[in-house]
This record gives sequence, structure tokens and C-alpha cells, in this order.
Amino acid sequence: MTRHDLITKSVAMLRLRREDLIGKDLITKSAARLRLRRDDLIRVGRVIVVSVVCVVCVVMIASVPRWGATHALLGIREAPKANTTSAPLTVDQAKRILARTFTAAYLGETTSGAAAQAQLRTAYTGEGLRGVSGRVKLASVQPALSASLLLAPHPKLLAVSRGFGFPRFIIAQTVASDGGLPILHLLVSPDAATPYRISMSAEMVPPATVEPFDRLSSGSPLVTNGTGLAVAPATLLNLYAAQMAFPAKAISKAPFVADSFAVQVRAGAAGAAGAVASQATYTQVHTVVPSSVYAVRQASGDALVLGVLERTDSFAVKPGENVNTVANKAFVLLTGKELVTKAASITTLEFVAFTVPRSTGQATLVAAREQIVAGAGS
Amino acid sequence: MPASTRRALAAVVAVMGIVLLVVGAWMVILLGPSGEAQFSASSKAPGALVVPSEVLNAVDVPVRVTATRADGGAVFLAAASSTDVRALLATSAASTVSGVQFPAGRLDLHASGAGVPADIRTADVWRLTATGAGSAGLLVDQSRAPETVVATSGDATALTDATVTLTWDDTAWFFEALAMATVGAVLAAFSLNDLWQGRVIAVRGDVAETKTSEATT
Repeated sequence: MTRHDLITKSVAMLRLRREDLIGKDLITKSAARLRLRRDDLIRVGRVIVVSVVCVVCVVMIASVPRWGATHALLGIREAPKANTTSAPLTVDQAKRILARTFTAAYLGETTSGAAAQAQLRTAYTGEGLRGVSGRVKLASVQPALSASLLLAPHPKLLAVSRGFGFPRFIIAQTVASDGGLPILHLLVSPDAATPYRISMSAEMVPPATVEPFDRLSSGSPLVTNGTGLAVAPATLLNLYAAQMAFPAKAISKAPFVADSFAVQVRAGAAGAAGAVASQATYTQVHTVVPSSVYAVRQASGDALVLGVLERTDSFAVKPGENVNTVANKAFVLLTGKELVTKAASITTLEFVAFTVPRSTGQATLVAAREQIVAGAGS
Repeated sequence: MPASTRRALAAVVAVMGIVLLVVGAWMVILLGPSGEAQFSASSKAPGALVVPSEVLNAVDVPVRVTATRADGGAVFLAAASSTDVRALLATSAASTVSGVQFPAGRLDLHASGAGVPADIRTADVWRLTATGAGSAGLLVDQSRAPETVVATSGDATALTDATVTLTWDDTAWFFEALAMATVGAVLAAFSLNDLWQGRVIAVRGDVAETKTSEATT
């Protein structure tokens, strides 16, 4: 059956004329029924098609996520990635933290009672809190608060940590309003939920200075393993602690320069040993407090290493001897004992800071402080 | 250029012009002269309301964040680095903005966590903070992106039935939309006119051809 026959048969079945099924005539007939010219009807058809395309385009451009006109017009973008080479704090934030912390520290040391204790816990943490608690306890027998780091109205912000990891730190310096040596402070925040608190403070050792750190906006990186330094921070402090022991231990090739603080501690130990020689055996041990060591890279490539040593002065009373401790007011205040018959010990924290050169050379002590924190006797 | 090609080109330009005109006019009406786009969402679930960096830093203009609680209690609103906020909230109950519906003005919320939110107000990670009775607002610039904003209770009571609203405004958006509509209108007008003129010439050509044919016969 040919195409022609098929159309003719279909027409017969549908009772239509053959021309009705041919598209060309369909348009002509439709145009006639609508009282339009054939060309006009075709144009109307084209306009409808173009309109539909327009609407589809508008809908697409306006609604397709991440590609639509709204994104282009409003400048919608992916959120930027975190900058790991920037400081986690702004300078204003860091200054607010310093102001809050030093205010709490001041209130904690100048008042008494539970409120004072709460203020101290707000201001200090770790060995810093141990140290200040000892200072408050021994306030009556130690130098007056006028020498305190807390009478510094305008702390100078030296460095903040870099990146968004933890722990984070702030290094600040104060100079008491009544003069005296500048004091170096380390504040730390161990995690996101815990505020910054003073971890250690130490008076600068003349004529030492602290070299500049990187810009506050970019922060200063922590040195974690001592790479790129003349000596690893932990090694430095362990050797420093070892060389201050009494009886003295020889340290070959000390990685630090001799300093007045160590000389003073050793002289004190020798004096104590001589004073009690007839009644007791005296020893002194220094150990680095775990997790107290922080090393911060400076702009020059050197590092500032801060840490806490715990010094234990031990007295082993000789058989048959009684040691009168009344003269040691700090010991009496801490232990309540004025007579020791067997043994006694005094625990002192030593807060130290060193500048460590980046390649060769020796570390230099730049700040140090000691504070008796505990005692025991029997 | 052949007439058919010219007409096709004019049609394409006309379509583009119409699209630009419609979209531009639509944006002009939506944004208004201040170029303001506002979105909000409410959550009745207890826990913090969180606006993550994907939303907060999606546009390089400051965003005004407002949190309001229905019971009138204190609201604490703060912005910090996204890393820190994630560490702070961890498994705490939170409703996080997961999408922005434009032009509906709606924010999608995604609930997560079940733990009681810790008191995050004392943390030192906050770059910006605001507190207020019943509501609090912050204007967050983009200088420290990526950041996340958290709204939580500013007192001992849990934050429930709270609304967070984000407002971006940039006058430039209004003028950009206006420019888009204007350019679209001009393109559409010229190309449609060209198409119309072409049609008239074609019709006249038909008439002339018919007359010539009659004269020949």
C-alpha cells in the first residue's frame, strides 16, 4: 500500500477530506478560521515559541542554585577558608582579655575571702595559680604588694598565638606604676571553652630585653619540637634545672649563658646547707613542671622559651637533733611547725624565660621569679 | 549579512533583552531602593541558634543578625571563628541555618545534637558579642571570615521559641538591578524594532513582487 492510498483510506474512514490531514493546509485552514492570513498565523506561532523560551530562560536564570541571576547580582560566593596564618584574636580582643585578667588578679590579691579566691581563679591557672596562692598566703612575710605585677595599669601586648589550634597564648609585659623591673606574663587558653588566664609571670633580668615578635594580626607560632633552634626548649630547661641542683652537678657544654638568678639560687642553697650542717642534711632538686613549657617564635627567628621549674629544698634531720624553724616565717606559716625532728621540705616554683638563638649560640635568661608555694615538716 | 541571519540574531538579542528586563525589574521590586534582603526563621526546639559561615559569609557585605526570643528572656548573640564555635557546641542541641530561600525570605533550619548547651558566654573566642532582654543584634563585617554566629540564652533559662533574622543591605544591588533592567529594555526595544522593520520590508517586497508578476503576464 502506497502513502497516497493510506491517506485516502484514512480519510474515508474518518469521513474527512484528504487535504485536512496535510499540515500545510491545516495552517491555511486554521488561519482562515481565525480570519488571519497564513503568514500572520505563522508569526503568531513564532512569537508564542519565543515567549515560552523567554519564560523558561527567566525561570532558569532566577532559580538555578549557585548559577542564577540572584547569585551573580548579589555576589553570592563560597565562604572563605580559614586563614591558618592569622591570629585567632584581634588586638582589641587581646587587650580586653588582658584588662579583665589583670583586674581580676588585682582584686584577688587585694581583697580576702571567697570572693578573692574566685577572682584569683578567674585570673590565674596552673602553676600561675599555685604561685599566686603561695604569695597571698605568705603576704605577711614576703615583700609588700607594691612590688606586685598587678599594679600595672597599662599592660603592653607583645604577642598572640597564630592559627586556630590550641593551646593559645598571649604574651604581655607590664611595668608597675611605682617603677621597678618590667614583668613578663604568659596567658594561656587550653581550649575554646576556657578563657585565657595567667600561667606565669616573671621579672625581667637586667639588662635583658625581649626581641620583637611577628605582627599581632598574623600572630606568632609556637615552636613545638625545637626545630631551627640552637637547643630544644625542653632540653634547655631540663639542663638548666639540673645545673641548679645542690649538691652541684657539673653540666658540660651548657646551652645557656650563666645568669644572676642561678647564681643567687645556688648561693642560697649553699647558705642553707651551711646553716643547718650540724643538725640536718640539705639537698635541693629542680624539676621542670610537665606541660609548663611554651616556646614562641620571634620575628628574627629566635624563640622565647617560658617554663616553670619546681624546686624542692629537703632537710633530713640528723638523729637526736631538733631544728627550730621559728626564724623561717614562711615555713611556719605554711606548715604551722616551729620544730622539726625528722624531715622538712619547702617547695618553690621558679618561673623562667629564655631567649634561644635560631641556629648556634647559647640561650640567655631574660626573666625569672621564684615563689614558695608549700612546705612540710615532721 | 543575509536577511534571515540578521532576523535570527535580532530574535536572540530580543530574548536576551527581555530576560534581562524581567529579571532586573523583578530584583528592583524585591530589593527596593535600599537594596535590602531579609530572611528569618523560628525554632521552637531548645538549644542554640547557629548561623554558619556558609550563610554568614556568603556575600561580601556586612550582615545584620538579630535574635529574638518569645518569652522576653535575655539573649546572648556572638560571632567567632567557625572552628571555635564547632568546638564549643560539639554535641549540644542546636538549630543551624542550612539554607536561604530567596525570594521567599525564609531560612531553613537543621536541628542537631541533644546535649544541654554549655554556658559559652565566658569563652574568649568571641570577636563580637551582644546581649539584650528579649532580643539582641549584631552587625557582622566580613573582615574575619569564615565566622559563625551563635544565639543562645543570656540567662539561666533555656532558649526556646526564638527567631533569627539576617539582613543584608547594599544600595549597589538596587542600582545593579536597575541597570540590568535598563540594558534589557534597550536591547529588547532595538531588536524588536529591527524585527518589526524587517517584517514590513518583507511584506512590501511581496507586494512589489506580485505587481511585477501581474505586469509581466
